[in-house]
Amino acid sequence: MSVDHVSLVDVNNFYVSCERAFDYSLRNRPVVVLSNNDGCVVARSQEAKDLGIATGEPFFKIQRLMDSHNLAVRSSNYELYGDMSARVMELLGRYGTWHEVYSIDESFIGLEGNLEQVRSTAAQIRKAIDKSIGVPVCVGVSSTKTLAKLANHIAKHNPGLGGVCVQQLMDRSVLDNILSRVPVTDVWGVGRKSGAKLTSMGIETIADLRDADPLLIRKKFSVVLQRTVFELNGQRCIGPVEERADRGQVMFTRSFSTPVRTYEAMEEVMSIYAQKAASRLASEGRYATLLTVTAGTSRFAQGEASFPSAQVRLPRPTRDPILLSKLAIAAMRDLMQPGMDYVRGGVILSGLSDSPGEKQLDLFELGDGQEEEQKNVSSVVQDISARFGAKSIGLGPAGMAQSPQWTMKREHISQRYTTEWDELLEVRA
Amino acid sequence: MGFPSPARDYFDGGLDLNRLLVKDRVSTFIMRVSGNAMRSAGIHDGDEVIVDRSLSVRDGSVVIVNLNGQMLVRRWHIDGPKVGLLSDESPLPVWLTEGDEVGVFGVITRCLHYVR
Repeated sequence: MSVDHVSLVDVNNFYVSCERAFDYSLRNRPVVVLSNNDGCVVARSQEAKDLGIATGEPFFKIQRLMDSHNLAVRSSNYELYGDMSARVMELLGRYGTWHEVYSIDESFIGLEGNLEQVRSTAAQIRKAIDKSIGVPVCVGVSSTKTLAKLANHIAKHNPGLGGVCVQQLMDRSVLDNILSRVPVTDVWGVGRKSGAKLTSMGIETIADLRDADPLLIRKKFSVVLQRTVFELNGQRCIGPVEERADRGQVMFTRSFSTPVRTYEAMEEVMSIYAQKAASRLASEGRYATLLTVTAGTSRFAQGEASFPSAQVRLPRPTRDPILLSKLAIAAMRDLMQPGMDYVRGGVILSGLSDSPGEKQLDLFELGDGQEEEQKNVSSVVQDISARFGAKSIGLGPAGMAQSPQWTMKREHISQRYTTEWDELLEVRA
Repeated sequence: MGFPSPARDYFDGGLDLNRLLVKDRVSTFIMRVSGNAMRSAGIHDGDEVIVDRSLSVRDGSVVIVNLNGQMLVRRWHIDGPKVGLLSDESPLPVWLTEGDEVGVFGVITRCLHYVR
């Protein structure tokens, strides 16, 4: 009988790794990626971590390291990261019996077989992503999501494991040693606040939490933390996860309960997802500058597979659900192949900013009748996009080859190698 | 958006260049060439090349290779234990040595050349 295992795959230093895949000069040196408007550090290479640079550190504080320590700095290139993420997720989907995207660079997937087979599949996944896409990943395998997260953590911090850790294959005493050393706050699902409370109760390490009384934990904390205790003991009780909201983006991707085959059904999906993503943005008080739509067929499907994915630059930072759902529908309509069984789809909003940006005079905009105008413009854009391709037109200057300069400050941005014809990597012959 | 054509759901889209040119979207990248040292491989200045990272490099493969910090289009040349890079610049390969920093990005499968 084959058993289903849970694995967590994530890309090491994802943003930095995307930059390094194309720019070899960034390898073997400290690299950081900055947030919107080049404000602070959002991603660091190992070398940058070794220099003591922290996440969230303001750029001006580390600027001097560019000269003194050969530190390379890049602005967030969301178009590139979004495209590379879609590639990683698509490749992972070919290996998993099930697949839940957890964030831009992290997925839970199901792997079948005995432990040795699973270890070999995990190693294959790692090799395939490195070879085909050019970014390094770590794979953690165990019986539950919480333990898979932990196994991934172990793989990441023990280079000798070659990026793969199958928890059940670990030597019992080695594992116990790790669990009784790693602080409880490193467990997936334990926040800083409950971490402090746990510590004050004498539950300081992962081993302590694993051995804690689940009933007591439920009484003192919550049923959520009780589940964590069960999961640490190998009992699967965390269901499908929602994508983690990170500062960089809002995702809304799901597997469908029944396959989607027609334009009409896909429009409905895109519309609902775009509106959900928009309302999540609204609840966080933020605005998006880039919309990504994705869909995918099952790897078990007969015949051809289809994994449409497209990015639409937005006319200005927005969270307007009508605009977003219209653009999502138009982009997907152009890409999908009706008749194929799509089993998942998603809408991702990225390039987030805290303000809607300066008002820009749009090409099609006539006056201040904002709401109504926008509807008209949207449908025109949708018509044209449907007929001539999603990239044939955009709103205002966003539709032009040149990106609008005012959207955000990106002084150190790399080229959008994979999404813009004008920004392809130049190679010397 | 007006009346959708009832035929639309049955229209298969005709000839889709992606299906011809891209074997696997996941591992395919497009780059732009500058320079004319690979004309014998049919690659000219200004052309776009389609690169598949998933393919293994063989003797004679035309590859994107990073050599000491420069991204180059070259023909991979294997001679026994030695590996060299060939271009139209010289009839002899540039042999790779231990001191070289070499990274193969991927193998070129197609070249998009503007004829008119």
